[in-house]
Amino acid sequence: MLGPSGSGKSTLLGLIAGLDRPTSGEVLIDGVPIQDMSEDALALLRRRSIGFVFQSFLLLGNLTAFENVLLPLELAGTDDGRARAQALLATVGLAERAHHYPSQLSGGEQQRVALARAFGPRPRILLADEPTGNLDRVTGQVVLDMLDALRREDGTTLVLVTHDTEVASRADRRIHLRDGRIDRDETRAHESVV
Amino acid sequence: MSPYLAVRLMAREARGSAARIAFFVACLSVGVAAVVAVSGLSAGIDSAIRAEARPLLGADVAVSAEAPIPEAVSHAVDAIARTRPAAGVVALRELATVVSVPSGSSALVLLKAFGAGYPFYGTLETDPSREPGAPLDPEGMLVAPELASRLHLGIGGELRIGGQPFTVRGLIRKEPDKVNVSFSLGPRVMISIDGLARTDLEGFGSRVERRILIRLADADVARAAEELRAAVPDASGVRVQTYADAQPALREGIRRVGRFLGLVALVSLILGGIGVAQTVRAWLASRLDAIAILKCLGMRPREIVTLYGAETLALGLLGSLVGVAAGTALLAFTPRLLVGLLPALTISPWQPAAAGRGIALGTGIAILFSVPALSAARLVPPLRVLRRDAEPLVPSPLVRAGVALALVLGVFATAYVQARSVAIAGVFVAGMVAATLVLAGAARILTAVVARASAGRVRVVVRHGLAALARPGAGTLPALTALGLGVLVVVAIALVQRGLGERLHADLPEDAPNVFLVDLKAAQWPEVKSILESAGATSVNSVPIVGARLASVDGVAAGELAKHAKDRGRGRWIFTREQNLTSLATLPKDNVVIQGSLWSDPRPEISIERDFAHDMGAKIGSTIVFDVQGVPIELVVTSLRTVEWRSFGINFFLVVEPGVLDDAPQLRVAAARVPPGAEQALQDRLAAATPNVTMLRVREIVEKVAAVLERLGLGIRLLGGFAMAAGAVILAGAIGATARLRGREVSILKTLGTTRRGVVGMFAIEFALIGLVAGVIGTAAGTLLAWGVLTRAMDLEWAWHPAVLAIAPPATALLAIAAGITASAGALRKRPIEVLRGE
Repeated sequence: MLGPSGSGKSTLLGLIAGLDRPTSGEVLIDGVPIQDMSEDALALLRRRSIGFVFQSFLLLGNLTAFENVLLPLELAGTDDGRARAQALLATVGLAERAHHYPSQLSGGEQQRVALARAFGPRPRILLADEPTGNLDRVTGQVVLDMLDALRREDGTTLVLVTHDTEVASRADRRIHLRDGRIDRDETRAHESVV
Repeated sequence: MSPYLAVRLMAREARGSAARIAFFVACLSVGVAAVVAVSGLSAGIDSAIRAEARPLLGADVAVSAEAPIPEAVSHAVDAIARTRPAAGVVALRELATVVSVPSGSSALVLLKAFGAGYPFYGTLETDPSREPGAPLDPEGMLVAPELASRLHLGIGGELRIGGQPFTVRGLIRKEPDKVNVSFSLGPRVMISIDGLARTDLEGFGSRVERRILIRLADADVARAAEELRAAVPDASGVRVQTYADAQPALREGIRRVGRFLGLVALVSLILGGIGVAQTVRAWLASRLDAIAILKCLGMRPREIVTLYGAETLALGLLGSLVGVAAGTALLAFTPRLLVGLLPALTISPWQPAAAGRGIALGTGIAILFSVPALSAARLVPPLRVLRRDAEPLVPSPLVRAGVALALVLGVFATAYVQARSVAIAGVFVAGMVAATLVLAGAARILTAVVARASAGRVRVVVRHGLAALARPGAGTLPALTALGLGVLVVVAIALVQRGLGERLHADLPEDAPNVFLVDLKAAQWPEVKSILESAGATSVNSVPIVGARLASVDGVAAGELAKHAKDRGRGRWIFTREQNLTSLATLPKDNVVIQGSLWSDPRPEISIERDFAHDMGAKIGSTIVFDVQGVPIELVVTSLRTVEWRSFGINFFLVVEPGVLDDAPQLRVAAARVPPGAEQALQDRLAAATPNVTMLRVREIVEKVAAVLERLGLGIRLLGGFAMAAGAVILAGAIGATARLRGREVSILKTLGTTRRGVVGMFAIEFALIGLVAGVIGTAAGTLLAWGVLTRAMDLEWAWHPAVLAIAPPATALLAIAAGITASAGALRKRPIEVLRGE
């Protein structure tokens, strides 16, 4: 999703995740309307199906990197949560820093922890709000590569919000928003043909 | 969410929160310590009394009466002694009388006469020591050491008791069955029953408490007590007590004091609750992002509330445990404060029930006061992860009303637990709510006024300090309220105590009598009167009294009325005890007839004090029958009176028309005002001439009451100190909660060139203002409360105490500065660069 500030990108993300409620219209996840679900039902939907990555990482400051990754696995009641959290941290290259607190990690490292956390419960939808916005170019590239790789492995639908056309160029489908409306909707033709 | 996961999440949540946890624990533990100390002391005394029940009663079963023990009862005692081979019986008499040494000096003493075998339990320790249970010879006596030293008596010394000579055989070190130690008319003298018979002190009309102590095999006690109770005639005033009853009146008195002090302790705990509410709110406010993230990760709102609620519960438990430990430690010291107020008892500081109460009330208050913040945590929008400015939703008015109601009901429940009375708990809650509203309202107005005033032209340090008071989110409002409530409690206690003490120490009215003479025989009056006059006494007055027992009111027998009478106050004793009747042609000037008219009926009449008539169930026109030495006298009520008891004159509840009692056996009471310093000489002369007459000095009795009140007051002031400490801790916590903000402020101020001293000055002014405002409002509200208690509840005159009013606000300000500067120590140490780099 692309668009200038105030075009409605974050609002759309919030609506998809059930964090916000539409004033009119419907939000369908797997064909099921979610706009009238209770707070509890929405929480369970997120727990089972939706992962997040944010521009400002939003790790829990009083939890170590490992515990941050572990938390959604614990909430979902995953049996091998600890092993999977460890494996995910290894995947993002932070096995050595598992027991550091967010404040002891660099921005890029924090975002990699956030990625590991998001992929832990194998969500079917991953929402990423400018995941590289706070990172330098090289680190941003690394994070994007990981998002892409994790997406391919687990078959997750990745919804990514960005300002950066270069980042957007990697997507199958690009939705341009302007003043709360879809301005353009581009699908990468050659892949849909295949 | 599994419990195991919840515990792990809680453990993680507690990380890096040492300061917050410490504050939470401090807030709660102060109040819990107060509650545990009060409840533990009361329970400790109670169980010590029960443990010592036999020595305190001196027997397994005791029969006691203020009048001669009826024959039926004596026969029942004899029957018990005959049918039970192991049984033992001993007689006791107790009375107040004046004794004198041959050289003439005299003293009012409490005389106890005992037979062989006393005491059955415990030991009468004397110097030189005696064989346990050994009889005392008829000429011998034992005296309290303080009397021996006052009258310069040694072993072998002589005292005249009731006109007869007695010789000192020993000094009393410890009397096992001395229950009423806090207030007795005089030091103890003991003689034998045979010795008492040598005097005529037990003659007609004398005030003697008669007791029969019975020792029995354990299994027999209940049955023997039943047999004795069955033998007691209705309304005879004879009491049968077993050791298992364990001093019911004393224990009930302690329970009542315990309940009152328990409420004072509860104030500290509730102040702690305000601190808890504040900590939980600050804690959850700092966790808004975390809560939003948790919701994003799929945690349900109720799981969030459960998580933070469980965390609060765990902290509440921790704070309560610390409080229990502190309260128990305190309990180890308090028995020292009780010496002279209670019988010598061994009180264990470890009281499980009190600890349980402390934990239950502590965690209850912690949960209760965190409900508002927790209910708001439900409403943190998860959208905050995308929009940082998404603030918690405002709870609906219904929810807020519900939370407020829950808070009030919860406080009511804790007050009920402490006071065991719905009415008292209701008054307590109403008082707390009113005081809180007044304090919070006044604090709000004052901060607004201060904020406006700070815009004026004052020095920058002062202006900054003033502005800080009114800054949003400073958390000073609840702190100010809490501190103010603490001041309120302390000031109210100080003023009520002072008011009471002043009343007790105040000079008696100019012409009020300062000595009373009782046990005076009618025939002795002319002689006593001439002694009084030669001693320079003024306002000499004497009236006849006739002892009588109420037989019936409007045809209903007194025994029947006693069954339905209230258990408390004088409800029952009106019908069971001997009453004093007098005859007067005209009423003293401190009596006012409020209904009917005096001596206006051809039938024999009686005039009754209004409240006494109410308790008796008598009205104008009622027919009352008294039994005077076996002779029934029928009287009709023709007037009701009010009496100004504080005039200290001789006054009676029951006044009979002159002439009606002329044939009845009479005693007299006399009252007189004796010049200062002449009391002792008068007592010496009366003791020599009329040894059966007992002289009571008003000043001495009042001073004894004042001394007991002073001791009780010390305990109450100590508890007031707890409330004050709780207030100071809460203030420190409120300031600590804003430490980050303050650190940043300090850095900026220092960067702009303010010296460290300047910053400390600004902070000091801010804290001083908080203390001053809390002090002024708390003092005003405390004064109002004390005024209400003294003038409305106790019917005393109000006097201003400028010293208390002048000291309280600045003292509070100093306390606030101390607490505040301590809490900001970290912020004050901050180097500017640390904070600015962190931005």
